[in-house]
Amino acid sequence: MNTKLISFVLNGEPVSVRVDPFELFVDVLREKLQLTGTKKGCGEGGCGSCTVLINGEAVNSCLLPAMRVEGTSIQTIEGVEDNGELHPLQTSFIEKGAVQCGFCTPGMIMSAKALLDKNKSPSKEEILEAVSGNICRCTGYVKIEEAIEDAAKTLRKAAVKGESHG
Amino acid sequence: MANLRAVGKSVDRRDGVDKTTGRALFTSDMTFPGMLHAKVLRSPHAHARIVSIDTSKAEKLDGVKAVMTHKNGPKNLFNAAAPMFLTVSNLERVLDQYLFDEIVRYVGDEVAAVAATTEAIAEKALSLIEVEYELLPAVLDAEEAMSENAPELHAGKGCTPEGKNIPGEIIRIPYGDVEKGLKESDVVIEKSFTLPIVKQVQMETQSAVAQVSGSGDVTVWSTTQTPHPSRAILGQVFGIPASKIRVLAPPYVGGGFGVRIGLSGLAEAIALGLALQAKRPVKMVYSRKEDFIASDTRHPATVTVKLGAKKDGTFHALDLKGIFNTGAYCGFGTELPGVCGAMTLAIYRIPHQRYLGHSVYTNRTSSGAMRGFGNPQGNFALEQVVDMMADALGMSPYELRLKNIMKVNDPWCLPFPCLSTELAECMKQASESIGWEKRESLKASAPHKVRGMGMAVGTHVSNAWPFCVDYDNAYFTVQSDGTVHVASGVPEMGTGVCTSLIQIAADAFGIDMDRISLSFGDTLTTPFDIGSHASRTCYAAGLAIKEAAEDARAQIFDYVAPYFDVTPEMVSLQDGYVFVSSLSDPDAASVVSLDDVKEHKQSKVSLENIAYHAHVRNKQFISTGKIVPKNAPPWHVCFADVEVDTETGKVDVLNLVAAHDVGTAVNPMIVEGQIEGGVVQGLGYALTEEIRYNDSGVQTHSNMHSYMLPTAEDIPPMKSIIVESHDPTGPFGAKGAGECSLVCPASAIANALANATNIRFTELPATPERIFAKLHPQN
Repeated sequence: MNTKLISFVLNGEPVSVRVDPFELFVDVLREKLQLTGTKKGCGEGGCGSCTVLINGEAVNSCLLPAMRVEGTSIQTIEGVEDNGELHPLQTSFIEKGAVQCGFCTPGMIMSAKALLDKNKSPSKEEILEAVSGNICRCTGYVKIEEAIEDAAKTLRKAAVKGESHG
Repeated sequence: MANLRAVGKSVDRRDGVDKTTGRALFTSDMTFPGMLHAKVLRSPHAHARIVSIDTSKAEKLDGVKAVMTHKNGPKNLFNAAAPMFLTVSNLERVLDQYLFDEIVRYVGDEVAAVAATTEAIAEKALSLIEVEYELLPAVLDAEEAMSENAPELHAGKGCTPEGKNIPGEIIRIPYGDVEKGLKESDVVIEKSFTLPIVKQVQMETQSAVAQVSGSGDVTVWSTTQTPHPSRAILGQVFGIPASKIRVLAPPYVGGGFGVRIGLSGLAEAIALGLALQAKRPVKMVYSRKEDFIASDTRHPATVTVKLGAKKDGTFHALDLKGIFNTGAYCGFGTELPGVCGAMTLAIYRIPHQRYLGHSVYTNRTSSGAMRGFGNPQGNFALEQVVDMMADALGMSPYELRLKNIMKVNDPWCLPFPCLSTELAECMKQASESIGWEKRESLKASAPHKVRGMGMAVGTHVSNAWPFCVDYDNAYFTVQSDGTVHVASGVPEMGTGVCTSLIQIAADAFGIDMDRISLSFGDTLTTPFDIGSHASRTCYAAGLAIKEAAEDARAQIFDYVAPYFDVTPEMVSLQDGYVFVSSLSDPDAASVVSLDDVKEHKQSKVSLENIAYHAHVRNKQFISTGKIVPKNAPPWHVCFADVEVDTETGKVDVLNLVAAHDVGTAVNPMIVEGQIEGGVVQGLGYALTEEIRYNDSGVQTHSNMHSYMLPTAEDIPPMKSIIVESHDPTGPFGAKGAGECSLVCPASAIANALANATNIRFTELPATPERIFAKLHPQN
């Protein structure tokens, strides 16, 4: 089969991996790179469990041909902690009770992060829109929205103090 | 209660860090050296006989290591759901399924399975299997399936005086004299309601990985909600001793909502069958489509209510009937109609009641357990008829309910007493929150819109007894360093048991949560447990852990009493320290070693010191909890404020309020999460979610794009209210909390729609199309 070696930056580190032309990026992450934090809930872009950031934008990695990742910068849930410190989104998800079964959580956090990386003062509507492609069947979204709002608040405070959260 | 340090606190979940960092492992994440991938060939026909099946080309494909069909699969009849193992002694088990059969009974039924070195090869192999089918007449509708001319789905099973294709017991609940009660009633209202097929859509699809050792020991990583019963089911399917089978979660399960009480679809059995053949680990992960078409849905149903009341509003008679379409295989088809009847009859104090309910086989995907387990179907029907009765009597629906709801120790049809209810207080707090007093003067936001409010009330159970077998066990070990290890067989499917059970253990024993670890969801390391269903986990597993902790405490008191020179009853344990109960201020007491305590009786001794003291004298404090739970009713209300666009039929839910009495809320944040999640599932049940079939028996809503789940943008303003009671039968007063939340929302929304439009919606979901059609019958 025609395979291709693709190179990209994954969670801050350069990676090269050989992929098939029709291989989807979620499978490369989960099977070739053993990064199983990114979940596969439907395989057809309908649930958002597989959300990763590609150059800062949230995408469903189950719809993303692996070859398109060449030369990009990818962030997955495994790259959200900063030097072993939980990101404010992770802390807020835990403290506000936004985690139940945990299967949607990585994708949910990635979608929220794509928003907060650009906008640290989102409205409630902007928060809900940002995660509207991420299905959660456990929480009813109430505590997820609260957690994202809470994380935004923490990030704003940190920005005032001059700390950074990548 | 004075001494509770952990119970009642919204402590962070134990699994929070793993689940927010991607470290949490699920079955679908598991991988092993040499592991094969399984794929299943499924029937394209609703009902057919396999005349011939040729797998030779598939077997020759490079990378294919095992192929299984009805020709070489196990030949033991089973039931993939927990009744295989948990049917109570007065009912007969319905065993109606082979892993592979020569008859296929629904579109999606298993025809063959392949294990190959990659998913792509397994998929390719399926396309090389040649099957010749002889089509058989199919029946999709429950009423039709009961008729004389209907095809028989399971030869020799289900011919009853009530009709054909009725599996298992017909459930009859007699109470008082319903005919007499209806005659004595001043007003009688009768109405039938139609409930749709909906799906759990738990985020992790049905999955399993099976591994067989050289000595024949079997390990199955699984998404099941019930590891121990699933082990027993696998044992019977394959004729392998249960003691050689280990079923475990790795450690997390991506949601359940009832879809895997018993096997996860057939994932465990398919993976194990192929692993036995290939002698290599096999992984079976259902695609989302397979999860839709080949794992249990909620039972669609027709429920008929006949309610009689006296002029003053006193309910006098209730006659209830429920017919449930259970699809191709029975599953929970006997137990679920029973729960529908019992839960619907148990809400109100009515002297004359009767229930008749049963399932019907049809050529559709099997129906099974989904959060609420028959209760939402009955509640939707009864709670609308209660509103109709209020209209007929000229009473407020609130006052009518308040007059009739069950009180503590009222007689009812259930075989356990009602020892706690704060339902009236739930009604009060929820009505105040939503502004119920404005119901008669609500203003819509535009001239073509109408607005209304509705309410509904209900109950549920705190474990499965008397509908299914229910008992529980726990191990409790005090390690030689004074820390504690607890083992309980329940899995963590998101409901927070790996946290709340530790809260119970901490307060039952008297140490900090940080000093307790929990093994769960693994048949090898935990004692037998029924699993996570019937809102039982915190209640029943919690009781077993509490009993074990109390036993370990007693052992410690027996051990230390002579050192303190007192009787064991005079010793206490709190915050990890043992002291004489009469000690005025244990917090301020100095810490000494057990050997020195005789000299310093006003002191306390650390558990660490005692455990090591015992250890070097060949003694360990280790106990088991073995309980048969009683049962207890949680109570709940939902209030809805809705606006309907009369030009389009579109519904806006403006506000939803749910108030729940779940006894003591062991972890209020987790309980709120249970309420909010269930209410939103109820919102979907009310307005958007539905699986429909075409005439060939094919699901037309079998993926995330066509099955309309609520998204974050569909959520109305919501409030969850916890009204605590203390139930004497539960651990620290707790009752079941997992399922109530999905029972009432659709009923409340339907009542709000009727209040807004003066039209009764008897069919769910209340889509814009259905509403428009009712609003504009001339079109």
